[in-house]
Amino acid sequence: MIEAKTKLWRSSLATPSVKRYVARVRYKLTHGAVVAAVIGLLILIALAIHQNLTSRGIDFSFAYLSAPSRFGISEGLAPVWTGWAPIFESVDATSSNLGMLEAGLFNTLKVALLAITFSTLVGVVLGVLRLSTNWLVRNLAFAIGEFIRNTPILIQLMFWYFAVLLQLPSSGSATKVSKWLVVEQSGVFLPLPHLSDSAGPASGFFVAVAIAFLAAACLRRFPARWRIALLGVGLCAIGASYALGFGINLDWPVLGRFGATGGLHFTPEMSAILITIIVNSAGYISEIVRGGIEGLAKGQWEAAAALGLSRGDTIRDIVLPQVFRIIIPSLTNRYISLTKDTAIGIAIGFPELFNVSGTVANQSGRDFETVIVVMTIYLLLSWLISALANFVNRRIALERA
Amino acid sequence: MIIATLHSWARRNLFANLIDSILSILIVTALGWLLTVFLRWVIWDAYWQRIYESLRLFLVGQFPEDQTWRAWVALALLCTAVGAVLLPWSRRLGVAIWLIACGAAVFVLVPPGLDRWGGLLLSIMLTVVVSTASLPLGILFAFGRSSRNPSLRACCTGYIEVMRSVPLILVVYWIWITVPLFMPEVSISSLARGMIGYTVFNAAYVAEYVRSGLQAVPRGQREAARSLGMSNWTISTEIVLPQALRVVQPALVGNVLDVFNGATLVFIIGLMDFLRAGQLILVDPAASGQTNEVYLFMFAVYFVIGSAITFGSRRMEAHMHRSTR
Repeated sequence: MIEAKTKLWRSSLATPSVKRYVARVRYKLTHGAVVAAVIGLLILIALAIHQNLTSRGIDFSFAYLSAPSRFGISEGLAPVWTGWAPIFESVDATSSNLGMLEAGLFNTLKVALLAITFSTLVGVVLGVLRLSTNWLVRNLAFAIGEFIRNTPILIQLMFWYFAVLLQLPSSGSATKVSKWLVVEQSGVFLPLPHLSDSAGPASGFFVAVAIAFLAAACLRRFPARWRIALLGVGLCAIGASYALGFGINLDWPVLGRFGATGGLHFTPEMSAILITIIVNSAGYISEIVRGGIEGLAKGQWEAAAALGLSRGDTIRDIVLPQVFRIIIPSLTNRYISLTKDTAIGIAIGFPELFNVSGTVANQSGRDFETVIVVMTIYLLLSWLISALANFVNRRIALERA
Repeated sequence: MIIATLHSWARRNLFANLIDSILSILIVTALGWLLTVFLRWVIWDAYWQRIYESLRLFLVGQFPEDQTWRAWVALALLCTAVGAVLLPWSRRLGVAIWLIACGAAVFVLVPPGLDRWGGLLLSIMLTVVVSTASLPLGILFAFGRSSRNPSLRACCTGYIEVMRSVPLILVVYWIWITVPLFMPEVSISSLARGMIGYTVFNAAYVAEYVRSGLQAVPRGQREAARSLGMSNWTISTEIVLPQALRVVQPALVGNVLDVFNGATLVFIIGLMDFLRAGQLILVDPAASGQTNEVYLFMFAVYFVIGSAITFGSRRMEAHMHRSTR
């Protein structure tokens, strides 16, 4: 009886097990075929390129990166490692090609970080304005966003650079808009805050203590009494550091016969690309924010209205905190695009990574290697941004019930 | 009656409260002043003759003068194709009509040489060719990325992620210098290399749109098709893909706008598109006083074309929402 059952069991499974075996073999075969095809294709391309390069007497090597660059760029700092912390120094013709690329990366990062900060601010304001109760404000914000998103970013850059910044009054006859802002052909000048000379390590220590206590006072997890005490200690620390000679002075831009000097100086190229990317990304971010606000459940607005909150309070305290949680993935994509958009700086001669890499490639004749290096840097940058965003997203995302 | 409606509309939308009223008055004043200054400049002070004189360069670049009819024929072909694709009775033949029209347009334009293309003609043809060519490539990569075969999936994911992480300008430049390296015998024009590079780049974006469409098709569709005994190939091409493409149609039209806007970046490989033509006109010292006119004209052209594409994309989206409800 049992024997018969086993036999029956075996025979009924015989065909499926063969089928499964065949399926497994086929699966492995397709695997192998795909891997072999891709590897084969890559090897073929590499071989063809290698053969071509050797026939022209060029070898494939990255040794040129440490050779002197023999050209200069208008701005940009490269890190020099002397000890445990890098010192940023400006580069010149004696710097290595790698140093040049680092200076380009520095400029790209500088623009990207500033643009991420300010385009988010402007974009959120524009996005909220699109839901204003005022018809004019609403549609004006819509029109601005629409215009920005329906025209190429390159023409916006060209416009800001050639039609606005280069048409400004020439150096020497600068239009001083106010004490705070000087705008002329040689760029935009802002006051630069810097530490006063009398600030010593002791006062610096108190400043650090003050910052730590004030930050702790902002945390909601402490009871109110503790937070008031923390605030008090923080204020005392500020007083102590001030008594010890800590201070922040502003370095004002000064108008001279040959143009403004001093303060924080943005070259026209830097100003143009910064303005372009901030304005352009703000247009996209406003759309993301609007979508996020409209995607929020209506009940949130109604509940806030039922509690008697005003429209402004509702947006600030109820809507925006939730919207930020929803839109972080879209914002991340925007930040990555924004970082990639800095590459158009080559059109106006701003020495960002792509522009510098082009000069390095031309000077050294190593197009192929340089492109590989630059591509890798852009890849790492994008991955860094999305990793950071994923980290933030995990920390603040709502728990899904 | 109309005045009463208008009055209540203004009460609700412009003067709902004190802040709104102040804002409305401020904006109306500022806009009015700006518009007056702007219109006065456009009508009296601007020198539009310059644009009129250089219209040829703007529209077709260095295309030979006696061959201009080719550009018109190509434009007519493309417009007819767009119209035909939008007609309801030709839905099923839409792809064939579009491909034939594109091929014919390229065929008509090729004889003077690819290097002679320029201006708006170049921008539009680049957009048409790249958008068309990156669709099948994108669909392939989308299927690859959602395949159950891990090695295929890894390859497609890697390709898509790499392409989406680097700037377009870098990819176009890279392909432009690399293609001659492994095909030294054949000389390929800059434009063709640019099209290849741009397609390679854009296919990754199209793939992500299509993949989101593939994910939007309910699992039941696949299961039902399998229970009817269809093969995997039939299920993918006849059941899943049509539904996925229908969902992502608006996004794909939006991608056409991105391609058109990104086409300005081909200046890096020495092509003269619409924007570059405008800059070349401004290089001429005689035209240096007309910076504002040239930029206004270019902004207007880009904005009109871009808005038209956005409008089409929104109409499609609204239509889809209506029909699926």
